[in-house]
Amino acid sequence: MTALVALEGVTFTYSGAARPALVDVSLEVAAGDVLAVAGETGAGASTLLLVATGFAPRVVGGTLTGTRRIAARRCGVVFARPWTQLTGLCATVRDEIGFGPASQGWPRERVRSAAEHAMARLRVAHLADREPAQLSGGELQRVVVAAALAMEPDVLALDDPAAELDPEAADALYDVLPAVAAAGTAILVATPDRERAARVARRAVALAAGRIVARGAAADVLGETAVAGIARAAGCPPPFPLDVPALLRRVAR
Amino acid sequence: MSGCDVRVAGVRFAYGAREALRGVDLAIAAGEQVALIGPNGAGKTTLTRLLVALRRPTGGTVTVGDWDVAGRRPDEMAGRVGYAFQHADQQLFARSVAEDVAFGPRRLGRAAAPVTEVIGELGLADVAGLHPYDVPAPARKLVALAGVLAMEPRVLVLDEPTAGLDHAQRDRVIAALRRRAAEGVTVLAVSHDLGFVAEAADRVVVMREGRIAEDRTARELLYDREALATLGLRPPATVEIGLALQLAGAPIRSGEVVEALRGTKWKETPQ
Repeated sequence: MTALVALEGVTFTYSGAARPALVDVSLEVAAGDVLAVAGETGAGASTLLLVATGFAPRVVGGTLTGTRRIAARRCGVVFARPWTQLTGLCATVRDEIGFGPASQGWPRERVRSAAEHAMARLRVAHLADREPAQLSGGELQRVVVAAALAMEPDVLALDDPAAELDPEAADALYDVLPAVAAAGTAILVATPDRERAARVARRAVALAAGRIVARGAAADVLGETAVAGIARAAGCPPPFPLDVPALLRRVAR
Repeated sequence: MSGCDVRVAGVRFAYGAREALRGVDLAIAAGEQVALIGPNGAGKTTLTRLLVALRRPTGGTVTVGDWDVAGRRPDEMAGRVGYAFQHADQQLFARSVAEDVAFGPRRLGRAAAPVTEVIGELGLADVAGLHPYDVPAPARKLVALAGVLAMEPRVLVLDEPTAGLDHAQRDRVIAALRRRAAEGVTVLAVSHDLGFVAEAADRVVVMREGRIAEDRTARELLYDREALATLGLRPPATVEIGLALQLAGAPIRSGEVVEALRGTKWKETPQ
Protein backbone atom coordinates (compact mmCIF):
# COMPACT_ATOMS: atom_id res chain seq x y z
CA MET A 1 0.00 0.00 0.00
CA THR A 2 1.47 3.36 -0.93
CA ALA A 3 1.95 5.86 1.83
CA LEU A 4 -0.51 8.76 1.95
CA VAL A 5 1.81 10.59 4.32
CA ALA A 6 5.56 10.13 4.35
CA LEU A 7 7.86 12.10 6.64
CA GLU A 8 11.61 11.75 6.39
CA GLY A 9 13.91 13.52 8.83
CA VAL A 10 11.28 16.18 9.49
CA THR A 11 12.07 18.89 12.00
CA PHE A 12 9.43 21.51 12.74
CA THR A 13 9.74 24.70 14.77
CA TYR A 14 6.88 27.04 15.65
CA SER A 15 7.47 30.71 14.90
CA GLY A 16 9.31 32.35 17.75
CA ALA A 17 9.94 29.08 19.60
CA ALA A 18 13.41 28.48 21.00
CA ARG A 19 13.36 24.74 20.36
CA PRO A 20 11.81 22.64 17.60
CA ALA A 21 8.55 20.86 18.48
CA LEU A 22 9.47 17.90 16.25
CA VAL A 23 13.01 16.68 15.68
CA ASP A 24 14.13 14.34 12.89
CA VAL A 25 10.83 12.51 12.62
CA SER A 26 10.42 9.83 9.98
CA LEU A 27 7.27 7.79 9.48
CA GLU A 28 4.81 6.59 6.86
CA VAL A 29 1.06 6.19 7.09
CA ALA A 30 -0.80 4.32 4.37
CA ALA A 31 -4.46 3.96 3.49
CA GLY A 32 -5.97 1.48 5.94
CA ASP A 33 -3.50 2.28 8.71
CA VAL A 34 -4.45 3.37 12.20
CA LEU A 35 -1.35 4.83 13.80
CA ALA A 36 -1.46 5.72 17.50
CA VAL A 37 0.74 8.62 18.61
CA ALA A 38 1.66 8.52 22.28
CA GLY A 39 3.59 11.00 24.36
CA GLU A 40 3.28 13.05 27.51
CA THR A 41 2.05 16.63 27.17
CA GLY A 42 4.46 18.75 25.17
CA ALA A 43 6.11 15.72 23.55
CA GLY A 44 4.96 16.84 20.11
CA ALA A 45 2.03 14.52 19.39
CA SER A 46 -0.38 17.33 18.47
CA THR A 47 2.29 18.97 16.33
CA LEU A 48 2.93 15.70 14.53
CA LEU A 49 -0.75 15.55 13.57
CA LEU A 50 -0.62 19.10 12.21
CA VAL A 51 2.54 18.37 10.23
CA ALA A 52 1.26 15.06 8.87
CA THR A 53 -1.92 16.68 7.57
CA GLY A 54 -0.22 19.74 6.11
CA PHE A 55 -1.76 22.24 8.58
CA ALA A 56 1.72 23.05 9.85
CA PRO A 57 3.33 25.18 8.69
CA ARG A 58 0.71 26.16 6.03
CA VAL A 59 -1.94 27.31 8.53
CA VAL A 60 -0.15 27.70 11.85
CA GLY A 61 3.17 29.08 10.56
CA GLY A 62 6.62 27.90 11.56
CA THR A 63 9.50 26.26 9.73
CA LEU A 64 9.70 22.73 8.41
CA THR A 65 12.89 21.04 7.23
CA GLY A 66 13.32 17.53 5.88
CA THR A 67 11.09 15.78 3.38
CA ARG A 68 7.34 15.55 3.61
CA ARG A 69 5.06 13.99 1.02
CA ILE A 70 1.30 14.12 1.46
CA ALA A 71 -0.50 12.19 -1.29
CA ALA A 72 -4.02 12.95 -0.10
CA ARG A 73 -6.78 15.02 -1.68
CA ARG A 74 -8.36 15.84 1.65
CA CYS A 75 -6.93 15.78 5.16
CA GLY A 76 -9.19 16.10 8.18
CA VAL A 77 -8.07 17.19 11.62
CA VAL A 78 -10.04 17.06 14.83
CA PHE A 79 -8.40 19.31 17.39
CA ALA A 80 -8.27 18.59 21.08
CA ARG A 81 -10.68 21.47 21.73
CA PRO A 82 -13.67 20.70 19.51
CA TRP A 83 -15.59 23.89 20.24
CA THR A 84 -12.95 25.90 18.41
CA GLN A 85 -13.85 23.96 15.28
CA LEU A 86 -17.52 24.86 14.92
CA THR A 87 -18.33 26.96 11.88
CA GLY A 88 -20.54 29.31 13.90
CA LEU A 89 -22.70 29.54 10.79
CA CYS A 90 -25.03 26.57 11.17
CA ALA A 91 -28.28 26.48 13.13
CA THR A 92 -28.46 22.70 13.35
CA VAL A 93 -26.06 19.82 13.88
CA ARG A 94 -27.17 18.37 10.52
CA ASP A 95 -26.10 21.55 8.72
CA GLU A 96 -22.89 21.75 10.73
CA ILE A 97 -21.87 18.25 9.67
CA GLY A 98 -22.92 18.94 6.07
CA PHE A 99 -21.03 22.23 5.93
CA GLY A 100 -17.67 20.73 4.94
CA PRO A 101 -19.10 18.47 2.23
CA ALA A 102 -21.24 21.33 0.89
CA SER A 103 -18.24 23.64 0.73
CA GLN A 104 -16.56 21.01 -1.47
CA GLY A 105 -19.28 21.68 -4.01
CA TRP A 106 -20.68 18.17 -3.72
CA PRO A 107 -24.20 17.58 -5.08
CA ARG A 108 -26.95 18.10 -2.52
CA GLU A 109 -27.79 14.40 -2.32
CA ARG A 110 -24.17 13.44 -1.65
CA VAL A 111 -23.87 16.10 1.06
CA ARG A 112 -27.01 14.78 2.69
CA SER A 113 -25.94 11.14 2.60
CA ALA A 114 -22.39 11.92 3.80
CA ALA A 115 -23.81 13.84 6.76
CA GLU A 116 -26.40 11.14 7.61
CA HIS A 117 -23.79 8.41 7.36
CA ALA A 118 -21.33 10.28 9.59
CA MET A 119 -24.04 11.04 12.16
CA ALA A 120 -25.05 7.38 12.30
CA ARG A 121 -21.45 6.28 12.73
CA LEU A 122 -20.83 8.63 15.66
CA ARG A 123 -24.30 7.98 17.09
CA VAL A 124 -25.34 11.61 16.98
CA ALA A 125 -28.38 11.23 14.70
CA HIS A 126 -30.62 12.12 17.66
CA LEU A 127 -28.88 15.50 17.87
CA ALA A 128 -29.44 16.37 14.18
CA ASP A 129 -31.92 19.19 14.82
CA ARG A 130 -30.17 20.65 17.88
CA GLU A 131 -28.26 23.90 17.82
CA PRO A 132 -24.48 23.19 17.87
CA ALA A 133 -23.81 25.95 20.40
CA GLN A 134 -26.18 24.30 22.89
CA LEU A 135 -24.58 20.85 22.89
CA SER A 136 -22.75 19.48 25.90
CA GLY A 137 -18.98 19.09 25.64
CA GLY A 138 -19.15 15.39 24.88
CA GLU A 139 -21.95 15.74 22.34
CA LEU A 140 -20.00 18.48 20.63
CA GLN A 141 -16.87 16.39 20.41
CA ARG A 142 -18.75 13.60 18.63
CA VAL A 143 -20.37 16.10 16.26
CA VAL A 144 -16.99 17.56 15.33
CA VAL A 145 -15.57 14.08 14.65
CA ALA A 146 -18.66 13.32 12.54
CA ALA A 147 -18.10 16.55 10.61
CA ALA A 148 -14.53 15.51 9.87
CA LEU A 149 -15.66 12.05 8.74
CA ALA A 150 -18.38 13.49 6.51
CA MET A 151 -15.64 15.10 4.39
CA GLU A 152 -14.45 11.58 3.53
CA PRO A 153 -10.82 12.51 4.20
CA ASP A 154 -7.96 10.40 2.86
CA VAL A 155 -6.00 11.25 5.97
CA LEU A 156 -7.73 11.81 9.30
CA ALA A 157 -5.86 13.10 12.33
CA LEU A 158 -7.63 12.93 15.69
CA ASP A 159 -6.21 14.74 18.70
CA ASP A 160 -7.47 13.06 21.86
CA PRO A 161 -10.91 12.59 20.25
CA ALA A 162 -12.55 11.01 23.29
CA ALA A 163 -11.25 13.39 25.95
CA GLU A 164 -14.73 14.60 26.86
CA LEU A 165 -16.75 11.54 26.02
CA ASP A 166 -18.46 9.24 28.45
CA PRO A 167 -16.90 5.76 28.36
CA GLU A 168 -19.64 4.28 26.20
CA ALA A 169 -19.32 7.06 23.62
CA ALA A 170 -15.52 6.81 23.77
CA ASP A 171 -15.70 3.09 23.02
CA ALA A 172 -18.13 3.74 20.18
CA LEU A 173 -15.82 6.35 18.69
CA TYR A 174 -12.75 4.14 18.82
CA ASP A 175 -14.73 1.18 17.48
CA VAL A 176 -15.59 3.20 14.35
CA LEU A 177 -11.95 3.85 13.44
CA PRO A 178 -10.95 0.41 12.05
CA ALA A 179 -13.90 0.48 9.64
CA VAL A 180 -13.07 4.01 8.51
CA ALA A 181 -9.47 2.95 7.92
CA ALA A 182 -10.53 -0.21 6.11
CA ALA A 183 -12.48 1.96 3.66
CA GLY A 184 -9.18 3.56 2.61
CA THR A 185 -8.46 6.33 5.12
CA ALA A 186 -5.12 6.71 6.87
CA ILE A 187 -5.76 7.57 10.52
CA LEU A 188 -3.44 9.10 13.08
CA VAL A 189 -4.75 9.30 16.62
CA ALA A 190 -2.94 11.05 19.46
CA THR A 191 -4.23 10.21 22.91
CA PRO A 192 -3.21 9.59 26.49
CA ASP A 193 -5.82 6.79 26.51
CA ARG A 194 -3.43 3.95 25.81
CA GLU A 195 -5.93 1.21 26.52
CA ARG A 196 -8.38 2.31 23.83
CA ALA A 197 -5.65 3.27 21.36
CA ALA A 198 -4.07 -0.16 21.66
CA ARG A 199 -7.42 -1.73 20.79
CA VAL A 200 -7.76 -0.06 17.40
CA ALA A 201 -4.26 0.84 16.24
CA ARG A 202 -1.98 -1.64 14.57
CA ARG A 203 1.12 0.48 14.91
CA ALA A 204 2.17 3.19 17.32
CA VAL A 205 4.92 5.71 17.81
CA ALA A 206 5.85 7.29 21.12
CA LEU A 207 7.28 10.79 21.20
CA ALA A 208 9.42 12.49 23.82
CA ALA A 209 10.72 16.04 23.45
CA GLY A 210 9.75 16.01 19.78
CA ARG A 211 11.61 12.82 18.87
CA ILE A 212 10.23 9.39 18.13
CA VAL A 213 11.55 7.28 21.01
CA ALA A 214 9.65 4.07 20.31
CA ARG A 215 7.84 2.62 17.35
CA GLY A 216 6.31 -0.74 16.56
CA ALA A 217 3.25 -2.82 17.23
CA ALA A 218 0.71 -0.77 19.18
CA ALA A 219 0.42 -3.34 21.96
CA ASP A 220 4.16 -3.03 22.65
CA VAL A 221 4.59 0.72 22.34
CA LEU A 222 1.44 1.52 24.32
CA GLY A 223 2.09 -1.18 26.88
CA GLU A 224 2.32 0.82 30.09
CA THR A 225 -1.29 0.46 31.20
CA ALA A 226 -2.76 1.33 34.57
CA VAL A 227 -2.71 -2.36 35.48
CA ALA A 228 0.98 -2.67 34.63
CA GLY A 229 1.76 0.45 36.67
CA ILE A 230 0.06 -0.97 39.75
CA ALA A 231 1.70 -4.37 39.29
CA ARG A 232 5.10 -2.74 38.99
CA ALA A 233 4.52 -0.71 42.16
CA ALA A 234 3.50 -3.87 44.00
CA GLY A 235 6.75 -5.59 43.06
CA CYS A 236 5.56 -7.85 40.27
CA PRO A 237 8.60 -8.80 38.17
CA PRO A 238 8.77 -7.90 34.46
CA PRO A 239 8.07 -8.46 31.62
CA PHE A 240 5.44 -5.80 31.14
CA PRO A 241 2.92 -4.86 29.70
CA LEU A 242 0.32 -6.62 31.76
CA ASP A 243 -3.45 -6.79 31.68
CA VAL A 244 -5.71 -8.15 34.39
CA PRO A 245 -5.87 -11.75 33.09
CA ALA A 246 -2.08 -11.76 32.71
CA LEU A 247 -1.71 -10.45 36.25
CA LEU A 248 -4.04 -13.16 37.52
CA ARG A 249 -1.90 -15.84 35.85
CA ARG A 250 1.17 -14.55 37.59
CA VAL A 251 -0.11 -14.67 41.14
CA ALA A 252 1.19 -17.82 42.79
CA ARG A 253 -1.71 -19.50 44.52
CA MET B 1 -9.98 26.59 55.22
CA SER B 2 -12.93 24.39 56.05
CA GLY B 3 -15.53 23.60 53.44
CA CYS B 4 -19.17 24.42 53.30
CA ASP B 5 -22.17 22.39 52.40
CA VAL B 6 -24.05 22.56 49.10
CA ARG B 7 -27.79 22.05 48.83
CA VAL B 8 -29.71 21.71 45.62
CA ALA B 9 -33.47 21.38 46.10
CA GLY B 10 -36.05 20.69 43.40
CA VAL B 11 -33.90 22.36 40.78
CA ARG B 12 -35.08 22.61 37.19
CA PHE B 13 -33.42 24.25 34.24
CA ALA B 14 -34.30 24.57 30.57
CA TYR B 15 -32.38 25.74 27.53
CA GLY B 16 -35.31 27.23 25.63
CA ALA B 17 -37.82 24.42 25.27
CA ARG B 18 -35.32 21.69 26.11
CA GLU B 19 -35.31 20.70 29.76
CA ALA B 20 -31.77 19.95 30.94
CA LEU B 21 -32.57 19.50 34.65
CA ARG B 22 -35.89 17.96 35.63
CA GLY B 23 -36.01 18.25 39.41
CA VAL B 24 -32.64 17.66 41.03
CA ASP B 25 -32.18 17.21 44.79
CA LEU B 26 -28.65 16.89 46.06
CA ALA B 27 -27.10 17.56 49.45
CA ILE B 28 -23.35 17.58 49.81
CA ALA B 29 -21.94 17.90 53.31
CA ALA B 30 -19.03 20.22 54.05
CA GLY B 31 -15.78 18.45 53.26
CA GLU B 32 -17.31 15.71 51.13
CA GLN B 33 -15.56 14.55 47.94
CA VAL B 34 -18.23 13.84 45.35
CA ALA B 35 -17.93 12.75 41.72
CA LEU B 36 -20.73 13.54 39.31
CA ILE B 37 -20.90 11.09 36.42
CA GLY B 38 -23.35 10.17 33.68
CA PRO B 39 -23.65 10.10 29.90
CA ASN B 40 -22.96 13.14 27.71
CA GLY B 41 -25.92 15.49 27.82
CA ALA B 42 -27.23 14.24 31.18
CA GLY B 43 -27.13 17.73 32.69
CA LYS B 44 -23.91 17.49 34.71
CA THR B 45 -22.29 20.68 33.44
CA THR B 46 -25.59 22.56 33.64
CA LEU B 47 -25.97 21.59 37.29
CA THR B 48 -22.46 22.74 38.17
CA ARG B 49 -23.05 26.11 36.50
CA LEU B 50 -26.03 26.73 38.75
CA LEU B 51 -23.78 26.35 41.79
CA VAL B 52 -21.75 29.42 40.82
CA ALA B 53 -24.62 31.54 39.47
CA LEU B 54 -23.42 31.26 35.86
CA ARG B 55 -26.96 30.05 35.15
CA ARG B 56 -30.12 30.66 37.16
CA PRO B 57 -32.46 27.74 37.80
CA THR B 58 -35.95 27.97 36.34
CA GLY B 59 -37.20 26.32 39.53
CA GLY B 60 -35.92 25.22 42.94
CA THR B 61 -33.14 26.59 45.11
CA VAL B 62 -29.38 26.30 45.39
CA THR B 63 -27.57 27.17 48.60
CA VAL B 64 -23.87 27.08 49.42
CA GLY B 65 -23.26 27.31 53.14
CA ASP B 66 -25.45 30.17 54.34
CA TRP B 67 -25.70 31.77 50.89
CA ASP B 68 -28.74 31.45 48.70
CA VAL B 69 -27.12 31.47 45.26
CA ALA B 70 -30.18 33.21 43.77
CA GLY B 71 -29.16 36.45 45.49
CA ARG B 72 -25.49 36.32 44.49
CA ARG B 73 -23.53 37.41 41.47
CA PRO B 74 -20.98 35.08 39.82
CA ASP B 75 -18.07 37.23 41.03
CA GLU B 76 -19.31 37.02 44.62
CA MET B 77 -19.68 33.26 44.30
CA ALA B 78 -16.05 33.01 43.09
CA GLY B 79 -14.85 33.91 46.59
CA ARG B 80 -16.52 30.85 48.01
CA VAL B 81 -16.89 28.35 45.17
CA GLY B 82 -13.97 27.78 42.78
CA TYR B 83 -15.13 26.69 39.36
CA ALA B 84 -12.86 25.13 36.73
CA PHE B 85 -14.49 24.99 33.31
CA GLN B 86 -14.49 21.94 31.09
CA HIS B 87 -12.72 24.06 28.49
CA ALA B 88 -9.95 25.87 30.31
CA ASP B 89 -9.43 28.35 27.49
CA GLN B 90 -12.71 29.98 28.50
CA GLN B 91 -11.15 31.21 31.71
CA LEU B 92 -7.63 32.25 30.66
CA PHE B 93 -6.96 35.82 29.61
CA ALA B 94 -3.88 37.28 31.29
CA ARG B 95 -0.54 37.76 29.55
CA SER B 96 1.33 35.18 31.57
CA VAL B 97 0.54 32.01 33.45
CA ALA B 98 1.59 33.60 36.73
CA GLU B 99 -0.59 36.68 36.16
CA ASP B 100 -3.52 34.51 35.24
CA VAL B 101 -3.22 32.46 38.42
CA ALA B 102 -2.82 35.63 40.50
CA PHE B 103 -5.83 37.39 38.98
CA GLY B 104 -8.54 35.71 41.08
CA PRO B 105 -6.96 36.27 44.48
CA ARG B 106 -6.11 39.88 43.57
CA ARG B 107 -9.69 40.50 42.49
CA LEU B 108 -10.81 39.14 45.85
CA GLY B 109 -8.30 41.32 47.69
CA ARG B 110 -6.38 38.36 49.07
CA ALA B 111 -2.80 39.54 49.12
CA ALA B 112 -1.50 36.47 50.95
CA ALA B 113 -2.87 33.99 48.41
CA PRO B 114 -0.58 31.02 47.70
CA VAL B 115 -0.07 31.83 44.02
CA THR B 116 3.52 30.60 43.73
CA GLU B 117 2.79 27.55 45.84
CA VAL B 118 -0.12 26.48 43.67
CA ILE B 119 1.89 27.05 40.48
CA GLY B 120 4.55 24.75 41.89
CA GLU B 121 2.05 22.23 43.16
CA LEU B 122 0.62 21.75 39.67
CA GLY B 123 4.04 21.58 38.03
CA LEU B 124 3.72 24.90 36.21
CA ALA B 125 6.80 26.67 37.58
CA ASP B 126 8.71 26.25 34.31
CA VAL B 127 5.96 27.88 32.27
CA ALA B 128 4.91 30.56 34.77
CA GLY B 129 6.37 33.33 32.61
CA LEU B 130 4.84 32.14 29.35
CA HIS B 131 1.64 33.37 27.76
CA PRO B 132 -1.13 30.90 28.67
CA TYR B 133 -1.74 30.19 24.99
CA ASP B 134 1.90 29.27 24.47
CA VAL B 135 1.64 26.28 26.78
CA PRO B 136 0.12 23.01 25.49
CA ALA B 137 -3.64 22.66 25.80
CA PRO B 138 -3.57 20.12 28.66
CA ALA B 139 -1.23 22.35 30.67
CA ARG B 140 -3.65 25.24 30.12
CA LYS B 141 -6.20 23.16 31.96
CA LEU B 142 -3.81 23.07 34.92
CA VAL B 143 -3.30 26.83 34.67
CA ALA B 144 -7.04 27.36 35.00
CA LEU B 145 -7.18 24.94 37.92
CA ALA B 146 -4.25 26.73 39.58
CA GLY B 147 -6.15 30.02 39.25
CA VAL B 148 -9.08 28.43 41.05
CA LEU B 149 -6.99 26.81 43.81
CA ALA B 150 -5.11 30.08 44.43
CA MET B 151 -8.38 31.68 45.57
CA GLU B 152 -8.57 29.01 48.31
CA PRO B 153 -12.28 28.43 47.84
CA ARG B 154 -14.26 26.47 50.43
CA VAL B 155 -15.96 24.52 47.67
CA LEU B 156 -14.33 23.28 44.45
CA VAL B 157 -16.49 22.56 41.44
CA LEU B 158 -14.48 21.00 38.64
CA ASP B 159 -15.79 20.04 35.21
CA GLU B 160 -13.76 17.17 33.73
CA PRO B 161 -10.56 18.08 35.59
CA THR B 162 -8.51 15.23 34.08
CA ALA B 163 -9.75 15.19 30.48
CA GLY B 164 -6.81 15.27 28.09
CA LEU B 165 -4.16 15.24 30.83
CA ASP B 166 -1.19 12.89 30.70
CA HIS B 167 -0.44 10.55 33.59
CA ALA B 168 1.90 12.87 35.44
CA GLN B 169 -0.52 15.80 35.20
CA ARG B 170 -3.42 13.62 36.27
CA ASP B 171 -1.47 12.48 39.33
CA ARG B 172 -0.76 16.11 40.25
CA VAL B 173 -4.44 16.97 40.06
CA ILE B 174 -5.35 13.98 42.22
CA ALA B 175 -2.69 14.91 44.78
CA ALA B 176 -3.85 18.54 44.84
CA LEU B 177 -7.45 17.47 45.43
CA ARG B 178 -6.43 15.08 48.19
CA ARG B 179 -4.61 17.90 49.93
CA ARG B 180 -7.72 20.10 49.71
CA ALA B 181 -9.82 17.19 50.96
CA ALA B 182 -7.55 16.82 53.98
CA GLU B 183 -8.12 20.53 54.70
CA GLY B 184 -11.87 19.94 54.64
CA VAL B 185 -12.64 21.59 51.31
CA THR B 186 -15.83 20.34 49.64
CA VAL B 187 -15.26 18.96 46.14
CA LEU B 188 -17.72 18.23 43.36
CA ALA B 189 -16.03 16.93 40.20
CA VAL B 190 -17.75 16.05 36.95
CA SER B 191 -15.80 13.22 35.33
CA HIS B 192 -15.95 10.35 32.89
CA ASP B 193 -12.65 9.06 34.16
CA LEU B 194 -13.55 6.31 36.62
CA GLY B 195 -9.88 5.85 37.46
CA PHE B 196 -9.85 9.45 38.65
CA VAL B 197 -13.16 8.97 40.47
CA ALA B 198 -11.67 5.99 42.31
CA GLU B 199 -8.65 8.02 43.38
CA ALA B 200 -10.37 11.27 44.33
CA ALA B 201 -14.00 10.69 45.35
CA ASP B 202 -15.73 9.08 48.30
CA ARG B 203 -19.21 9.36 46.88
CA VAL B 204 -20.54 9.09 43.34
CA VAL B 205 -23.70 10.74 42.04
CA VAL B 206 -24.94 9.50 38.67
CA MET B 207 -27.05 11.77 36.48
CA ARG B 208 -29.20 10.68 33.61
CA GLU B 209 -31.58 12.75 31.49
CA GLY B 210 -31.63 15.65 33.87
CA ARG B 211 -32.20 13.64 37.01
CA ILE B 212 -30.14 11.91 39.66
CA ALA B 213 -30.20 8.19 38.91
CA GLU B 214 -27.84 6.86 41.59
CA ASP B 215 -26.12 8.19 44.68
CA ARG B 216 -23.75 5.79 46.43
CA THR B 217 -20.33 5.52 47.99
CA ALA B 218 -17.53 5.22 45.42
CA ARG B 219 -16.46 1.88 46.85
CA GLU B 220 -19.93 0.41 46.59
CA LEU B 221 -20.67 1.64 43.08
CA LEU B 222 -17.27 0.84 41.56
CA TYR B 223 -17.52 -2.76 42.81
CA ASP B 224 -21.05 -3.14 41.46
CA ARG B 225 -20.30 -4.46 37.98
CA GLU B 226 -23.98 -4.71 37.06
CA ALA B 227 -24.81 -1.15 38.07
CA LEU B 228 -21.81 0.08 36.09
CA ALA B 229 -22.80 -2.01 33.06
CA THR B 230 -26.27 -0.47 32.98
CA LEU B 231 -24.50 2.91 32.82
CA GLY B 232 -22.30 1.65 29.98
CA LEU B 233 -19.28 1.74 32.30
CA ARG B 234 -16.57 -0.73 33.19
CA PRO B 235 -14.82 -0.77 36.55
CA PRO B 236 -11.49 1.10 36.66
CA ALA B 237 -8.27 -0.91 36.47
CA THR B 238 -7.85 -0.90 40.26
CA VAL B 239 -11.26 -2.50 40.75
CA GLU B 240 -10.68 -5.00 37.90
CA ILE B 241 -7.59 -6.13 39.78
CA GLY B 242 -9.43 -6.19 43.11
CA LEU B 243 -12.21 -8.31 41.62
CA ALA B 244 -9.95 -10.69 39.69
CA LEU B 245 -7.61 -11.31 42.63
CA GLN B 246 -10.38 -11.14 45.24
CA LEU B 247 -8.42 -8.62 47.25
CA ALA B 248 -9.70 -7.93 50.75
CA GLY B 249 -11.28 -4.61 51.64
CA ALA B 250 -12.56 -3.73 48.16
CA PRO B 251 -9.64 -1.43 47.30
CA ILE B 252 -10.40 1.31 44.74
CA ARG B 253 -7.34 3.58 44.94
CA SER B 254 -4.13 2.40 43.34
CA GLY B 255 -2.32 2.87 46.65
CA GLU B 256 -4.85 0.57 48.33
CA VAL B 257 -4.40 -2.05 45.60
CA VAL B 258 -0.61 -1.86 45.79
CA GLU B 259 -0.89 -2.23 49.58
CA ALA B 260 -3.13 -5.28 49.17
CA LEU B 261 -0.73 -6.79 46.62
CA ARG B 262 2.41 -6.26 48.69
CA GLY B 263 3.65 -9.56 49.94
CA THR B 264 2.03 -11.31 47.00
CA LYS B 265 4.13 -14.18 45.66
CA TRP B 266 4.64 -13.72 41.93
CA LYS B 267 5.34 -16.42 39.42
CA GLU B 268 8.54 -15.59 37.60
CA THR B 269 7.34 -17.35 34.45
CA PRO B 270 6.51 -14.91 31.67
CA GLN B 271 2.95 -14.55 30.43
